[in-house]
Order: sequence, then C-alpha cells, then structure tokens
Amino acid sequence: MKKIMTRRVFIASTILAGTALALLPQGAKTSINIEPFKVIEAVQEVLFPKGLQAPSAFEFGATNYLLTVSTHSSFWAEDLKFLAHGAELLMEKESSFLTMNPKQRDKALRDFVSNSSKGESWLSLLLFYTLEALLSDPIYGGNKNEMGWKWLGHYNGQPEPKKLFGELL
Amino acid sequence: MRYDICIVGTGAGASGVAYTLVMAGKKVVMLERGGFYKEQDFSKDEIAYCKRDIVTPNLKESYHTIENLEDEKWTKTPTYVTESSFFNGNIVGGSSNFMSGYFHRLKPVDFKLKSTYGAIKGANVVDWVIDYSELEPYYEKVERLVGVSAEVTPYKYHEPRSTKDFPYPPLDEHPISKLIDKSCYKLGFTPYKTPRAILSKPKGERNSCYYSNYCGSYGCSSGAKGSARASLLQPALKTGNLTIITHAFVKKLGEKNAKVTEAIYIDTQTNKEHHIKAKIFVVAGQAVESCRLLLNSKSKSFPNGLANNSNQVGKNLIFSAGGVGTGQFDSDSMPLKELMVEGLFVNRSLCDWYEIDKMKGGIVDFLFEHANPISKASKQRWEKGELLWGEELQKKIFKKFTATKQLNFEVFNDWLPTDNCFVSVDEKYKDIYGVPVANIRIGSHPHDLKIGRLLAKKAEAVMREMGAKEVRSSMSSYPPANLQAGGCRFGDDPKSSVLNRYCQAHEVENLFVTDGSFMPTGGSVTYTWTIYANSFRIGDHILGTLINEST
Repeated sequence: MKKIMTRRVFIASTILAGTALALLPQGAKTSINIEPFKVIEAVQEVLFPKGLQAPSAFEFGATNYLLTVSTHSSFWAEDLKFLAHGAELLMEKESSFLTMNPKQRDKALRDFVSNSSKGESWLSLLLFYTLEALLSDPIYGGNKNEMGWKWLGHYNGQPEPKKLFGELL
Repeated sequence: MRYDICIVGTGAGASGVAYTLVMAGKKVVMLERGGFYKEQDFSKDEIAYCKRDIVTPNLKESYHTIENLEDEKWTKTPTYVTESSFFNGNIVGGSSNFMSGYFHRLKPVDFKLKSTYGAIKGANVVDWVIDYSELEPYYEKVERLVGVSAEVTPYKYHEPRSTKDFPYPPLDEHPISKLIDKSCYKLGFTPYKTPRAILSKPKGERNSCYYSNYCGSYGCSSGAKGSARASLLQPALKTGNLTIITHAFVKKLGEKNAKVTEAIYIDTQTNKEHHIKAKIFVVAGQAVESCRLLLNSKSKSFPNGLANNSNQVGKNLIFSAGGVGTGQFDSDSMPLKELMVEGLFVNRSLCDWYEIDKMKGGIVDFLFEHANPISKASKQRWEKGELLWGEELQKKIFKKFTATKQLNFEVFNDWLPTDNCFVSVDEKYKDIYGVPVANIRIGSHPHDLKIGRLLAKKAEAVMREMGAKEVRSSMSSYPPANLQAGGCRFGDDPKSSVLNRYCQAHEVENLFVTDGSFMPTGGSVTYTWTIYANSFRIGDHILGTLINEST
C-alpha cells in the first residue's frame, strides 16, 4: 500500500481543521497554491448556501474536504488543475466576485456558466466535490459532525472507516 | 522452493482450484496483484471503494485501451482518458469481494446454444464441450462451501438440481418484494426468488449477514458474502499448504519445451523482479488480464504468445448484454415507513423469458438503487441539461432522500461472441512496468440489444403494475467491465480453441486457465457461480493428474 497520509495532506489538514480558509495566515505552510481556494470557498458557499434545514458548504467543511483529498495520489491531478484554472477564469470575468453579496455572486456564476461551456464544466466539477464533501465520511474533513447525513436522515453504513482511502489497519 | 501449483490470481476462478489442492495436501502458491484485506479492514467508505482507484490499479500505473468503432474506424482510447477502469478488485479474493452475489446457475440449454437455436449470422456461437450434468455437482458444492441462501422457485426453465433445496435459508426481504410478487402474479409472471451468495446463518468463522445496506461494491465486514477470500482462501490458509504473495504483478510466464517453467512477477512495492517455479501453472486473473498475460508471454516456440499458435487467445471475448431500468416509488404506492426500510434485500428476478420466440432470452433482476449517498446526490445536480445549485438543488436532494425510493432492474442476456470483441496487445501502449497493456475491442452483435429490449419491456410492465412513476430503461451495447468472460475458449479442436475440456492449454501441457475465459458463450446470467463451479471441477481434475503421476 502506498503511504496514505502524505506530508502535504498532514500540513494542509492540521492548519485548516475547523478554521475558515479566509483566516489562513499569509504564506501558510502548504504546497498547494491556496489563492484559487479562496475563490473556490466563496463559490461553494453559493452552490450550497445555508438553507432552512440544510447546512452550508462552509459549515460542513466543503473546502477543507477538497484540500484533504486533492493531495492524495488517488485524486485526479487534472481535476485539481482544472479547479484552480476555473477559479482564475472566474476572477478574470468577475474581478470583484469576492466583495459581492450572496445574490450578486449567484448572478455572477449564472452569467459565467451561460457564457462559457468551460465555466459550466468547472462549476459542475466543483459541485460534484462539494456533494462528496457533504456526504462522505467525516474522516475526510467534510460532513462535519455528520451534518450532511443528519440533514437527509441518511443511515450511514457500518463499520465506518478508521483510516483514509481504505488503508489497511 | 518449487511448488506443486502456482496460480496467477486469487479470485473465484483461482480459488476453487487452490482450495481443492490445498485441502488434499498439495503445496500451492498464489500470486495476487493487490493487497490482503480482511474483514476488519473493510468499511462502508464510499470515497475509498466507489470513488477512487484504491482496490484497482491507479490508471496512471496500468490501464486498458478500449477499441471502439468511431466514424467506421476502430479507434483505441486509453482508460486513463475515459477515467473508466476495466480492472475489478485487485486484492486477495479479487472482484468476488465486491460482488452483490446475485447467483444464477447456467441452464442446460446454455451448454448447447448452437444446436438448440442454430447459428446467428455474424456470431461465433458454438456448443460447449461439456454439458450441464458435468457441472451440476460443482454448482451444488458452491452452494455448500461458498454459501448460497435461497429457496427454490419452481418455474418453466428451472435447471435440474441434485439436492432438494438450498443449504442456507433465504435472506430477510424488504416489504417491496411482496408488491413485486403481487404484481407479477397479476400479469401471469413468475416472481423468482433470487439466490444470493450471502450467508443467512453463520458458517465456521464467517458470521451471517448483518444487512448493512452497503453490499455490492463494498467488502463484507462479517464474512457473510461468499468472496473467494472469506469462503475458500482464509480456511485454506489454515492448512499451512497455501502461500499467497501479494503486490505481485505477473508480467510473463517462461516456457521451455512446451511447458511453463516459471512465473515472472514484479513486486509493485519494491519494483523488484521475482521468479516462481512450479509443476503446474494456473492462470485466473479475470478474462482480459489472463489473455494479456498469455499474449505477452512470447517465446521462440510461441511467437504470438503462450498457447497461441492457433491465434485464438483473446478471441471471442464476451461480456453480459442487457442494461438497466428504473422506477420511482413514493407514499402513493406503499406506506412511506415500509418503503424507506433500509438494508433488507429485494431478491426477485424474472426468468420466465429464458427463451423468447424460439430465441435465447435472458433474465431480469430487481434491486434498489444503491445506498451510496454521494452518487445519489450527484445525479440530482442536472435537470433537463441545466446545472442546478443553491436552494433549488437542496430541495431536490432532500426530496430524493426522504420521500422517494428508486427500484432498479437489470437485464442480463447473452453477449454473442463475434470477431469484433477480443483482447489484443499493442507495443504502443505500456504500463509503468514496460509491459504492453490489454486492448479490448468492444464490438457487439445487434441481436443482443434486440433481446435486451424485449426483456426490458416485461420488467417495465411489472414496474407499472406496482405503481412506479417515471419508469424508464436503457439497454446498452457498451460492455459492463465487471462481467467478463471468454478469450480462451475451451473445445476439442486445437485449431478453434485455446483450452481442452479440462481448461488445460492444448499446446502447453502444464498450463490451465480457470477464470471465466474458458466460456465459449456466457449464458444470460452473472458468471460467478459458474466460474466457481468450473474452478472446483478443474481442481478435481488437476488433483487426479497429480495423484496418478505420483503412483
């Protein structure tokens, strides 16, 4: 078996555990380029906002999840590149995205998607990973306190994983 | 050390042979590409087992090329581009760890398709060289040793049985099974109780099923599922006669004087090469990879690959034809409390059309949509081609999880063997070890879709009678990667087959191939029960040979 907990994952997950990405100290010690993730975090909050019953992307740890899994060897490297590339494209089109209010952000994303098929693919991929974060085992850094499962009354399978990515005990 | 037998692979086709020989005191070594997961290592982790390449090779390490007809030209596309793996469970016990265990025997007619229904233009249909009665005792053995839970449903095409009933009683059923029964009776159909290779009561060190609701695609944490590892290899290891070497990727079989002399493997953790010597070699790495190994084992006497001077290795690869259908259920069709019960099995099939209009037909299995929450939620993000997000998406997901349940059906019918479905190797495409990967040409016969659609109509009728909403089905000519067979046909004629009736290579005396590769036609059911049964049959034959040699 490959070593699952790489140094990069370790650094990324310890720094980010339970904190908002926006609070990251400048030049945090991680080899991931963190800049696109600030945009990604803001976009995820539009994709999955706080609802009457639903937890928001920020609450269940959507970006934290992405940072944890994207450094593992099983993560598709092209996906990671594309996630960062899409965030850059969005900032080119909507340079004030991060200072917009939620309604404006939603409108900006709808414009972004309708004007570019690449934009739609990007948002679809990001939404895919947001839903992974909502409903995967909390061991991966998303689904905080099982809030995704609780929201849907989902009965999770037993036993739950004790290690990430099926590593042998 | 020189072993009696060296087996490449540890899945269903490998383990019946291993178990038989080990229990008779023979020294067996098995070479497994992946690791050794036991009951305590498995969990219901959707990310690890369903969303990433954890129990299959990383597609950057090894892959297949899929050769499809595009604009009337056969075009090869590597699976690292399609991101759709054709590997199926590379750990001890193979893909049997991850099966759902829907177990069906072949019927007597499956052994003589050509003489019963005649030739079909463009298809290479032949009769088997053994008949059902030769395999029946081994089907029965699988029921006992691997463990099959069910009760017999009498119907028109039921195969003969040497025992009255199954050794394990049926598993507990979901309330919807009664609704299926009622609807089938109303339509004049027979609701067939699907046998499952899952223990309904404990057996030795294996516990019975605990109805986790996460069965197919996941390893079993109780040992109830009849994986080759839990049912055969773990007991066989206790004898001390069995050695399993993990992380061993076999790249070539060495040959001298028309006999296999050694298996050459790479330890994927150290990248070092090792050689294993044995009297007899058995290849059972699942159809595609077994063909790849033979095709890559070239020598002076076998320039086209081992046992391939007939050019038959890789030919007549088959999958299972058919497709899937769906229907939505909510509180209009049954009380929500009953409908939303989790974990219990549906265990119903339709087998009334094993023959349709003097043609070979197939079967339909009913099952609930997989419990996997990520997959279920992800599918909701598209609505009529538009991407949904925000509150709209949240409402849709909430309804999907709390107020509806999707019943699926799967159609299985024969994938006719043709000249356009085969395994080959191409020096252009190699894995990280420098070994050519398998190319899979996936052409299919139009007859397969025709039969699939006829069967889907019957299943849709049941769904509608049950009160399902949005009943849909889609039969496909794209092959299911997990249901592979053929490629090393058995037969009496060395010109048109690779193996003889005992799955021994015509051209290489001490070489056997015992996964699904031997099957000239596949029947219209999942293969695992037949692969297990045949593996026990060949195990007995090899044992007989070894005993004769020593006396």
